[in-house]
Amino acid sequence: CLIHFYKRKMRVLALLFLAPLFLGACLAQKRVLVLLENVAVKETHSLYFSMLQRNGFTLTYKVADDPSITLKKYGEHIYDNIIVFAPTVEEFGGSLSAEAMMDFVDNGGNLLVTAGSVTGDVLREIASESGFEVDEDGTYVIDHHNFDTKDGGYHTRVISDAQNMVKSDLIVGTGKLPLLYEGTGLLTDPSNPLVMDILTGSSTAYTHNPSLPIKEYPHTVGKATVMIAGLQARNNARIVFSGSLEFFSDEFFQAEVDTGNGKLVPSGNFELAEALSLWCFKERGVLRVDGIQHSRVGEGSAPEFYTIREMVQFYIDVKEKVNGEWVPFKPTDMQLEFVRIDPFVRSTMHVAKSELIGTTFKIPDVYGVYQFKVNYQRLGLTRISTSTQVSVRPLRHNQYERFIVSAYPYYASAFSMMFGVFVFAFVFLYHSDETKKKTE
Amino acid sequence: HSVGAGLCAAGMIAIVPGYISRSVAGSYDNEGIAIFCMLFTYYLWIKSVKTGNIYWSALCAVAYFYMVSSWGGYVFLINMIPLHVLVLMICGRFSHRVYVAYCTVYTLGTLLSMQISFVGFQPVQTSEHMLALGVFGLCQIYAFVEYLRANMTPEYFNILFKSLVIIISSIIAVGLGVLTLSGKVAPWTGRFYSLLDPSYAKNNIPIIASVSEHQPTSWSSFYFDLQILTFLFPAGLYYCFSKLTDHNIFIILYGVFAVYFAGVMVRLMLVLAPVMCILSGIAVSSSLSTYMKYLDGSGSQTKAASKQGKGRQDTNSTQQREGTAYLFVVLMTFFLVTYTTHCIWVTSEAYSSPSIVLSARSHDGGRIIFDDFREAYWWLRENTPEDAKVMSWWDYGYQITAMANRTVIVDNNTWNNTHISRVGQAMASTEDKAYEIMRELDVDYVLVIFGGLTGYSSDDINKFLWMVRIGGSTPEGEHIKEKDYYTPSGEFRVDGEGSSTLLNCLMYKMCYYRFGQVYTETGKPPGYDRVRNVVIGNKDFELDVLEEAYTSEHWIVRIYKVKDLPNRGTR
Repeated sequence: CLIHFYKRKMRVLALLFLAPLFLGACLAQKRVLVLLENVAVKETHSLYFSMLQRNGFTLTYKVADDPSITLKKYGEHIYDNIIVFAPTVEEFGGSLSAEAMMDFVDNGGNLLVTAGSVTGDVLREIASESGFEVDEDGTYVIDHHNFDTKDGGYHTRVISDAQNMVKSDLIVGTGKLPLLYEGTGLLTDPSNPLVMDILTGSSTAYTHNPSLPIKEYPHTVGKATVMIAGLQARNNARIVFSGSLEFFSDEFFQAEVDTGNGKLVPSGNFELAEALSLWCFKERGVLRVDGIQHSRVGEGSAPEFYTIREMVQFYIDVKEKVNGEWVPFKPTDMQLEFVRIDPFVRSTMHVAKSELIGTTFKIPDVYGVYQFKVNYQRLGLTRISTSTQVSVRPLRHNQYERFIVSAYPYYASAFSMMFGVFVFAFVFLYHSDETKKKTE
Repeated sequence: HSVGAGLCAAGMIAIVPGYISRSVAGSYDNEGIAIFCMLFTYYLWIKSVKTGNIYWSALCAVAYFYMVSSWGGYVFLINMIPLHVLVLMICGRFSHRVYVAYCTVYTLGTLLSMQISFVGFQPVQTSEHMLALGVFGLCQIYAFVEYLRANMTPEYFNILFKSLVIIISSIIAVGLGVLTLSGKVAPWTGRFYSLLDPSYAKNNIPIIASVSEHQPTSWSSFYFDLQILTFLFPAGLYYCFSKLTDHNIFIILYGVFAVYFAGVMVRLMLVLAPVMCILSGIAVSSSLSTYMKYLDGSGSQTKAASKQGKGRQDTNSTQQREGTAYLFVVLMTFFLVTYTTHCIWVTSEAYSSPSIVLSARSHDGGRIIFDDFREAYWWLRENTPEDAKVMSWWDYGYQITAMANRTVIVDNNTWNNTHISRVGQAMASTEDKAYEIMRELDVDYVLVIFGGLTGYSSDDINKFLWMVRIGGSTPEGEHIKEKDYYTPSGEFRVDGEGSSTLLNCLMYKMCYYRFGQVYTETGKPPGYDRVRNVVIGNKDFELDVLEEAYTSEHWIVRIYKVKDLPNRGTR
């Protein structure tokens, strides 16, 4: 009794102490370090930064080679996201390096980097660690059919249609306006399954140095000219790499694009930048598993073990982050696998009671140690991968059918035999011959 | 035979190394109990044949049930008893007693044995049990024929007999043929078929062939396990033949068949040991009693002779006989004493020394203890999560389960051939392919035994060819071919001449990781393997999918952790 009392007291105390930390942590998810090329970038990209602040992010501005930059304090990262708006920086200041950046990503931090036609080595290193490659210094994305007339005649200020964006509303939003871009092209590693091309050029685009004659095949052509690339790491950290700093500038946000048939259309850069930043900084397309329940059908709690051929129900509580709140996620294509080295059962889950999704199935006729596995990977969403181990036992000796229907003839023969022998015994023992009477 | 023979045989069985090898602590398997059950069943069988009592036959059936529930070697028993009955029939010694005994034993015994779920319906489905069924039928026919013969006139009988024989034998032959061809009666399973055709296992089922106990026996192991029994055995056979009774025939049959099977598989030496002891006991006691008679008799005879004053020739001949008798008794005693000392020595050296802690003598005579196994297993126990899964070759499965208390992928109960073959494929493949298999099996740690630093020769590289053979024996492992792991000239080498498949497979890398920088012997370059006696071929390599977790003091046990997939993409 005393122990219970102390336990409860401890729990309350713990809550009291940890509550502010939790609140702090929630707010702390939005700490952004912004590394700028120079102080002027803050002004030329003011619309972008004010959009971030509107969405609740706390920004810390530093020039990229400022020696006072630190990412860690007492072993913990003090930022959750990093924006690098410094394409030409050769080396970061302070304790920052490409390795420190990748360590930041591997610990869950998100990264938004912009390169340019002249890209510093450290950014090239970051790109190659993330599965992209930045094209050589001096190259631009050139498109002689979809260019903005306001450029210097080299057709380097290109327009990309909204169709060239990756097909995911979560990443790029729902805008349909064309996008204005001026910068270098990226190559993505085709063998890396985690990399995605967020914005590519149209089929008439290519990358090359505009002032040099073309002597060899350009590194990227057509739809393979990646302008903005993304990576979602296995720990769900996100990296967005853009080949152009101007893409995020006020000028491009407010520009009006001449699509070619004389009409002037506002550019879709602002919508894309907002959607992309929210996706990158884990405000959109984020799932989490709140709980898993499994039990026999009709029961409430998980049993110690299952038996073969039982009906089992499995529920998983998945929440999605929408506008900063966690709301139930209701997919129609999330599957549950019941695996013992190979999956024996694969069942699509449907929305069940009170915000859970689940399914019911029959355990196969094979006993062993199984795992309930849910693996859900969709473009733009964080990965869900859970595994719960349970044991499935064979039937106990008294769980078999007591009487087998096809054995009824044998039961009948056995019992009739017993009865017959009993009657026969009487007949045999007490029968007396007729002849005895006759002789008498 | 006689009480004396029994006592002698009992004394011999108590210390015979062949039996002790399976009943010492640490090497205890089902057979330790099973031999007792088998001998008990045989004793009851002989008793029931002698008396013809249903009581003894029923007891024999119960003892048979005990035997079935303890060991798969009951198949030997269920074939030996019908064989005995068959031989008795052929010798013309078939009688009511045998009939009663066999019918009771067979029916009760089979019904009881089917209660064991492992046996199930095998007694009516597999070829191994068909002899018993056949002899049962034959018994009924024979007894019926005898009954008819006793109650019918000769001519009628002859006609009936001939026609019946023809009809019944043709029905049986056709029936058996149909059942075997249609698969209802399963052909001999691998384990037992390899007893009849020893090359079958080597060609078709590598896992059975790889167990060292399944290899054919050499003469030296016969002598090692049985010593004087080997030559007392024919003597005992002679004595049995000289006084042929029903039960002597049984002993002869048992002895002869046991010798054959023990010659095929070392493990079955265990089955041979008791019958050797029995026959030797018979030999010793018969010969001793023959000669002891002279010793006793001669004493009283001389007394009587001297009392009656018989001729000197008698005393001379009796003295001669006394002399040879004394000589013989002394010789026999000497043999028995050497037998005892041999058994004691063998048991202490070969069957009682622990194999988990090894010892060796250093060059200056001092003893070095290699406690690597326990050290590594204890490390696993203390430093890995409780639900970690360890992959190693099956020899170490029970040890890991018991001492490290972790789940293993395969262990000594080599029942699931496909699973072991999967592990073999993982060990024999390159790192990337092995990584797929390890992820499929949910492996967290991999354990290998390596003897190159110490000269411990039963390590995994020496067993590696078996892993290759077993790995390649199932459909998923078809890309693993044994000849890829040999040099072009057909040798198994780990130095620079070795095949590149061998030098890049997972087992090689795990065993020789960082070994290329180690000096093992004076005067030799680093990376000298003291078991294979060569410098290894692939020295400076890095592991991509594993990281080294622990290597024991003398590098005998090496444990690796399976790495997760990299965070930002492909390797």
